[in-house]
Amino acid sequence: MTGIAAERYTGASIKRSEDPRILTGAGRYVDDIKLPGMLHAAFVRSPLAHARVLSVDVSAARALPGVVAALSGAELEAMTVPGPDALMALMGWAGPTPEFTLLATDKVRFVGDPVAVVVAESRYLAEDGCELVEVEYDDLPPVVSASFALDPGSPPLFANLGDNIARPHSRREFGDVAAVFAGADRVFDFRVGVHRHQNVPMEGRGCVASYDPGQGTMTVYAATQSVHVSKIAVAMRLGIEQDKLRVLAGDVGGSFGLKIGASREELAVAAASRAAGRPVKWVEDRTENLIASGQAREESFDVRAAVSNDGDLLGLDVTMVIDTGAYPGMGAMVPAIVEAMLPGPYKLAALGFESTGVTTNKASYVAYRGPWASETFVRERVLDLIAAELGLDPVEIRLRNVAPRTDPPAVMLTGRPLAGVTTRESLERLTELVDFPAFRRRQAEARARGQYLGIGVATFIEAAPGPRSAEGPSGPMGMEAMRLRLTEDGIVVLFTGQMPHGQSHQTTLAQIAADEFGVPFEQVRVVVGDTDVVPFGLTGGSRSATMTGGVALHGARQLRAKVIDFAAHLMEASARDLQITDGNVWVRGDPASAIAVAEVARRAAAGQFGADVDAELEVEAAFDGGEGGWSGGSHCAIVEVDVETGIVRVQRYVVAEDCGALINPAVVEGQIRGGVAQGIGAVLLERSAYDEDGNCQSATFMDYLVPTACDVPRIEIAHLETVPLDADVNFRGVGEGGMLVAPPTVVNAIEDALAPFGVRIYEQHLPPSRILELIAAADPGR
Amino acid sequence: MDITLRVNGATRTGSPEARKTLADFLRDDLDLTGTHLGCEHGVCGACTVIVDGRAVRSCLMLAVQAAGCEVTTIEGLAADGELGTLQQALWDSHSFQCGFCTPGFVMQAVAFLGAHPDAGEQQIREALSGNICRCTGYESIIDGVLLAAQRSASPHPAAPTQAGPGRAAPANRER
Repeated sequence: MTGIAAERYTGASIKRSEDPRILTGAGRYVDDIKLPGMLHAAFVRSPLAHARVLSVDVSAARALPGVVAALSGAELEAMTVPGPDALMALMGWAGPTPEFTLLATDKVRFVGDPVAVVVAESRYLAEDGCELVEVEYDDLPPVVSASFALDPGSPPLFANLGDNIARPHSRREFGDVAAVFAGADRVFDFRVGVHRHQNVPMEGRGCVASYDPGQGTMTVYAATQSVHVSKIAVAMRLGIEQDKLRVLAGDVGGSFGLKIGASREELAVAAASRAAGRPVKWVEDRTENLIASGQAREESFDVRAAVSNDGDLLGLDVTMVIDTGAYPGMGAMVPAIVEAMLPGPYKLAALGFESTGVTTNKASYVAYRGPWASETFVRERVLDLIAAELGLDPVEIRLRNVAPRTDPPAVMLTGRPLAGVTTRESLERLTELVDFPAFRRRQAEARARGQYLGIGVATFIEAAPGPRSAEGPSGPMGMEAMRLRLTEDGIVVLFTGQMPHGQSHQTTLAQIAADEFGVPFEQVRVVVGDTDVVPFGLTGGSRSATMTGGVALHGARQLRAKVIDFAAHLMEASARDLQITDGNVWVRGDPASAIAVAEVARRAAAGQFGADVDAELEVEAAFDGGEGGWSGGSHCAIVEVDVETGIVRVQRYVVAEDCGALINPAVVEGQIRGGVAQGIGAVLLERSAYDEDGNCQSATFMDYLVPTACDVPRIEIAHLETVPLDADVNFRGVGEGGMLVAPPTVVNAIEDALAPFGVRIYEQHLPPSRILELIAAADPGR
Repeated sequence: MDITLRVNGATRTGSPEARKTLADFLRDDLDLTGTHLGCEHGVCGACTVIVDGRAVRSCLMLAVQAAGCEVTTIEGLAADGELGTLQQALWDSHSFQCGFCTPGFVMQAVAFLGAHPDAGEQQIREALSGNICRCTGYESIIDGVLLAAQRSASPHPAAPTQAGPGRAAPANRER
């Protein structure tokens, strides 16, 4: 076997090493943790959107047999350290900082706001205890809409802010906005909105916190995208020294941006465990998830577009208002990303961007797969609206405006170079995959029969991780680290700060390291989810393909060099003549010299060597992202709209995607399809709905509808791998693109289908009832 | 209330409170944590198990209602350590991502294929439309179930797959 080049794993759809446990029920999710003496927590939650809390009486709950502790917000506050939202602090937020407590004390600010926690011998008993907690409220007028929140007369959610402004108004201009608008042939005004919807991972939030009173140590079993970020949050709010705190995570049942850091509830559970001196588990139920875990995307955009008669998009002037919900978090930071990304791949001459963020009595804004996604929706919607006004083809207007691929690359108006962006290529690929003229003929025939078909196209780019620039391609999240070790069993172990929750890192990182080190795939293991052994890291922002793929590649190369250096000493050969393939070190040209890497590691562990021999077969690697780069692509949807029922069916969905070199095509395609499915859901089904009193109307899966197997079509995918930028790391992230671009793709197709009625669409949520309203409004005679 | 039932071929006894769901009984009392809870109101299907041959949502059934029943959970499918035909086909098809919904899909599909071994894509989609997956967009799951149906039907099963990680079956992608 020695001397035969091992097959290359990178680039192949290697079957996932995660699957045998997942397919047999042997996965270990946070709710599967069971510790001796473990208690269960449940939360008393506000039934009102906005009210003063006059009193909280937990005495009856405490008296219930089986209840071990019942804590009000004030009691919990006495056990914890006040502080800002950990995520915002970590990201350097310098704007308004609302003062709030882990559980509501003075006020409740949304329906579902936690007010008290009951800890009991079972979840059933904890919920019984919650029924006995008496809370007196004094109603305040709810602030449910962003427009009311902007009114200086609206009652402030946070007394220390004095108003409901979470992100103060700001305006920036790129290029000469006034001149570009003055010189334009046409100026259009559109108001485009995106509705509130949310992550909905199949596993909600949860944790088990276990305080050891003797040692003074805390272990938290988390469901998280980063054990280290969770640790920072817990340490900060519980006042625990870092060395006494350990955060572990096993399998995580999805997240899509929701599970970053530790939520208020998780911090309360950790405090309750310390108070009780026993482990405490809390796993949210679906209603808690839907009303209280967090929501995203409720944003409005007033867009002015300066255009030439030929369809050149010259300038945009955009005013964004974001509804960040009740408590601080991601929302206030989103407009800055939207601003930076708004030009997309297009050669825009001027951009004015102003934004304001408001607080309202709704669930807090959280990151959701492509948190800045609204910019893609707005831009790609506006391009179609302009195309319709000018009588241009949607593909043509895009090709016309895409920045050309030049060397050096064109630079986005907002600053980043468009290095390696292949929007033009992906649009052209779409026109090869989809016969547009044939569709137009079919569409005309169908219309003659009273059947309404539409085609929509949209395109996107995604900084995954982004091009190299002054601050490096890795951007605000910094370098990626990895520790790699060759064990005496011949296993190459990768310790990564990535915390996979569906991304298949235990497979993909092993593929890369196996190839680079020279061992079979089965001889690489990937360790995640333990703050005591993994470096800092976070799975999110579509960064792991480049950043972690890159550090796995470079780290495996470093470890390989180290093993060869040591083996050279053992084998009395020159390191230059040694190679590792298929798990063996051997002298090139002499298969008989082969020694298994396991044997090399055993000799390293057993032997005593002079100071000149490094027998520690471990490396710590770091990667800055290399040349980085963009992911991107173009999507096309063909839909049929039943104008009698308003039901939209996606007949065909085609993707032309460029995420650089593929590590594992099946994993990449799974990410794309999953993102597209969420995007289709956002348009046709999903909405986090509130009534005028601030009651959440989408508190169950009967009301918050997510797509099923009957709603999502087959998704055809073509891969482009057009422009390698880096010497060896050209994998780019692909997690968010589907969710970024599917909503405008589907909405564009629906508008095209409804063109005979003159329908224009300025929103994203188009359930059947809304489709019928749009038709009726555009064509009252119908 | 004392109950006796058969779970994955073994006789089990317990004394669940009357209000305890079958899902909680399986997970908490019998330590069968492969059955997952995704909504606890009967919509998402993650908790699906097979009771007396029928797929049921164990979050909507009380443990005491399962007294005397034959219950199969995800842990009962590969009890001998070998993946079953469906599980193998799902692995080969890269069917899942985070894996949380997986046990429910597998149990629903086992029950469905048992009754409809010749089912085509549309029937499978409808049969699985009561199970929610948030990661995959379903195509890979449908492909896996179709592959299992095809392998079960074929007297000469399609190319045997490796026991360990290897190449996935070609994606059924182009039309």
